[in-house]
Amino acid sequence: MNTAVHPDPQCSLIEDLKRGDSSAYKKAVREYSPGMLAVARFYLDYSSAEEIVQDCWVTVIDAIHKFEGRSGLKTWLHRIVANRCKNKLRSSKREVAIDFSESLEPELANRFNAKGHWNLPPSLKFHESADILMENDALSDCLDKHLSALPETQRSALMLYEAHQHKSEDVCNILDVSASNLRVLLHRARQKIFLMVETFQETGEC
Amino acid sequence: MLMCRDLAGIASDYIDGELTGRRNLSVKMHLMMCKHCRSFIGNLRASTDLMKAHSSSKPDEEFIRRIDKRVAEALKTRKPRDGNNE
Repeated sequence: MNTAVHPDPQCSLIEDLKRGDSSAYKKAVREYSPGMLAVARFYLDYSSAEEIVQDCWVTVIDAIHKFEGRSGLKTWLHRIVANRCKNKLRSSKREVAIDFSESLEPELANRFNAKGHWNLPPSLKFHESADILMENDALSDCLDKHLSALPETQRSALMLYEAHQHKSEDVCNILDVSASNLRVLLHRARQKIFLMVETFQETGEC
Repeated sequence: MLMCRDLAGIASDYIDGELTGRRNLSVKMHLMMCKHCRSFIGNLRASTDLMKAHSSSKPDEEFIRRIDKRVAEALKTRKPRDGNNE
């Protein structure tokens, strides 16, 4: 039997964090804070969300000693942020208002005729990979603009699921939404990105 | 019968493999016959990949710097731990 031990980079990062190693914190802050902010932005405005993320890192300095590794570090951090945001919302008696009623974006829904066939079919054609396309600064700026303009709830769902690659179940727990509502958030966000890229490719305008 | 509009409404569920057997099969049948819907599914996938490639590239440096500063201050005030205290 092969008993060779391969050091897990995340385990060694966690050990370094437990020792209070400042360079390990720098590394972890850079790696995990964007996702933590995406979680917080689901619940709160930007400045409150950033404050929560900063507070959570300070909490982590003490709490990391209790981290037992039952979930990954990323999921653990995201749960800390989500719980703190929920407490803040509870104490201010506010709720996150989300519209789950329609899965099709109105702009896309208008592109079908009365029989449900495409009236204005998709015109987008991708000839290059996503990484090559992202070398186009204008397209990258346009994506920035449209991602910022997404409703926070949709953007957070999209970021956690796609960019931070959480499982649906984890996203539902972190954002406190049902599986079917998560599907609506993801689909609405993806349609908006599709419509933006299509307009950009067609007209060169954002 | 599944219409293009219906398919557009569940396209993400199809892409993520979240549809049940029968529903999944009806989407596959529709896609075999409809080039516009094939194009839509392909575009939705590609747009999502683009978003992923974009958002994984650059964190907001100012935001990171502010957290680094706060963490560095907090670390200074903590007593160093050693394994024997646990």
